[in-house]
Amino acid sequence: MKKIILKSLILLLVMGFLTGCQGKKVSPGDVEGYDEGETYLSLWVHTIEDTPEGEAYKKSVEGFNEAYDGVYFADIEFIPRNDSGGGYSDKVNASVMSGGLPDVLTVDGPNVSAYAANGIIQPLAEIPEEEKAVYLESIIEQGTYDGKLYALGVLESSVGMYYNKDILEEAGIEVPDADHPWTWSEFLEILEQLKPIMAEKNGYALDMTFPVGEASIYYYAPFIWSNGGDLVSDDGLTVDGYFNSDANAETMEYFKTIVDNGYMSATPIEFLFESGRAAFKFDGAWEVNTIYTSYPDINLGVAPYVVSDNWDGGRYTPTGSWAYAASANTEHLEGATELVKWMSGVESGVYIWNLTKNLPSTYGAFEQIEIFRTDENYNALYNQLSTYGHPRPKTPVYPQVSTSFQQALEDIALGGMETKSALDKSVERINAKLERYVRE
Amino acid sequence: MMKKKKSNTIMGMAFFGPALVLLTIFLFIPMILTLVFSFTDYFALSPNLTHFVGFENYGKLFKDELFLQSFFNTVKFVLIILPCQGLGALGLALLINKVTHCKKYFKVAFFVPVVMSLAVVSTLWMQIYSPEGILNTILGNLGINAQPFIHSASQALPSIALMSVWQGVGYQMIIFLGGLQAINPALYEAAEMDHASSWQKFKDITLPELKPLCVFVFITVTIGAFRMIVQPMVMTGGGPSHSTYTMVYNIYETGTVNWEIGIASTMAIVFAIFVMILTVIQSILTRDKEDKHVNKKAKNG
Repeated sequence: MKKIILKSLILLLVMGFLTGCQGKKVSPGDVEGYDEGETYLSLWVHTIEDTPEGEAYKKSVEGFNEAYDGVYFADIEFIPRNDSGGGYSDKVNASVMSGGLPDVLTVDGPNVSAYAANGIIQPLAEIPEEEKAVYLESIIEQGTYDGKLYALGVLESSVGMYYNKDILEEAGIEVPDADHPWTWSEFLEILEQLKPIMAEKNGYALDMTFPVGEASIYYYAPFIWSNGGDLVSDDGLTVDGYFNSDANAETMEYFKTIVDNGYMSATPIEFLFESGRAAFKFDGAWEVNTIYTSYPDINLGVAPYVVSDNWDGGRYTPTGSWAYAASANTEHLEGATELVKWMSGVESGVYIWNLTKNLPSTYGAFEQIEIFRTDENYNALYNQLSTYGHPRPKTPVYPQVSTSFQQALEDIALGGMETKSALDKSVERINAKLERYVRE
Repeated sequence: MMKKKKSNTIMGMAFFGPALVLLTIFLFIPMILTLVFSFTDYFALSPNLTHFVGFENYGKLFKDELFLQSFFNTVKFVLIILPCQGLGALGLALLINKVTHCKKYFKVAFFVPVVMSLAVVSTLWMQIYSPEGILNTILGNLGINAQPFIHSASQALPSIALMSVWQGVGYQMIIFLGGLQAINPALYEAAEMDHASSWQKFKDITLPELKPLCVFVFITVTIGAFRMIVQPMVMTGGGPSHSTYTMVYNIYETGTVNWEIGIASTMAIVFAIFVMILTVIQSILTRDKEDKHVNKKAKNG
């Protein structure tokens, strides 16, 4: 008898714990600023409050609550996220099961497809064309899945092909304008020309690595795109014939040529470019700020991203970052859409730039920030982003595509694996993950 | 009499209860759920579409090259770490036991890495192992070519294993040191009267006296090495070419990055069963010895 009582007590406690975690109902007055008659909108963001990014989001939300006083009230919750992506995404995953998702949440650009395909986020309410036109094309494309707009980003990002002006001047190399980038074969010649000069400086022509993680696909997928290749089909559900196409094999071989000819170090050396021992470097837009503030001796320039000899002039440069989306659970889609628009809008973009030096996502924000007109390097990055920005592969199995790409690149360029078989192996791995989406 | 017994039970339950509740919530329920999930295709993003798939996951797993690779990588880690850390700890303990000056200094010096966070230690060693880092500079001065260390598929695993040994060895050293100091000096005095050599003293007195500790160190080091994840995560991301991808890392990535909770649970179960089997084998092997040891002691006494 006692045992039964004990057992049921424990069970009760457990149930209490489990149900306690489920979504809470908030009434007017519970949260400061939430008044009678307002629609309550919960919002999750992927950072803590104390970071510059968190501060920017907080300011945006305050602006929203002021502008929509009496109509909507947005309640922001900051959820920490670690570098490998845990924390925030764990919380989202757990809430998918328990049903505690907020009305609006942030989603990393490449994950929009997976979240949309699995019904975690829903298409936004109709947004008039003129309001959509405010956003960079890459942002609209990143947020679109299956023809519907799901997410709008406040941040945009890009990768620059940075060069050391002094070194290129010494070698007598002229950098082309944005619409006539160096082609692969031209670039190889330049690297060959720079090789002895850089050897003298105990460096390499290129400061380049193929790091594990998101960076590899982000930096080097443009080589795939400019060569007319793709990593996945348009619907994101087929990789065979795309990932392992002949064009992509050619691209992989190009990286191998760069490694084999000693234009880059096979083992990553830190601060090669920053210490003046490399002529070129691929890195995120943040590198400009780093160089300006920490390495003023480097005479920095941004060259247009190298293109394949087969480039057709299409979009090919890296883009993408965190975006806002309405969760499938929200009962206030109109309000959620307003909040998404506000959080990703011009004003929010300016906050983001001012506080974090991340690129904003709207033409309006770029216009308001003077440095994108006055500074040639920021201007070059902005032009590259707005004219040639290409979103990362849109597929529900993006994480697997990303790791497979890095793996193939490393195996082929550094590990000496046969190109075709390395790519086929990747296709096999991605297909295993795609199974779930294809069979249903 | 009866009443007292009853109140004892209640008291016992009162003490035991909170722990039991917490253990149930944070240990037993997750364990059972993991077992259940391992037979499903549970996908974190669409939990509503979960089906029972029987042993399908288990079949898939043993055909998955990456899983097998992560498994063997982990075994390799254990095989390097176990002897190095076990013998290293014993060696250090013996040395420190002999040292007459600055004993405290050496103890602290070897123990400090244990206290440091693994992530910090890993970042530190990334600098040490970097192509132009301190280790390569020393090698260069000795006329040896620069080594890629964590950037090469063949050297990354041993490099990380050695770093882990350095990080963990201090803990076992302290345990051995305690054991050494607990040995009755009379035993050594008696041996000296019999003109025993240092080696004989070590072999016939020190080692047998330390045996129970050896067992403890053996098991804890093994289990610790099997759980390797932080070092490769911070230093190499499991690369190059998955050469430092461990089981736990694989479980983590499958579950959180690729959202495949079902498969990740299966991995966890297979991993747990493997470690359990090893532990049982270890305890069978070591129990006999312990018994003998105790018997001998009893006889001697």
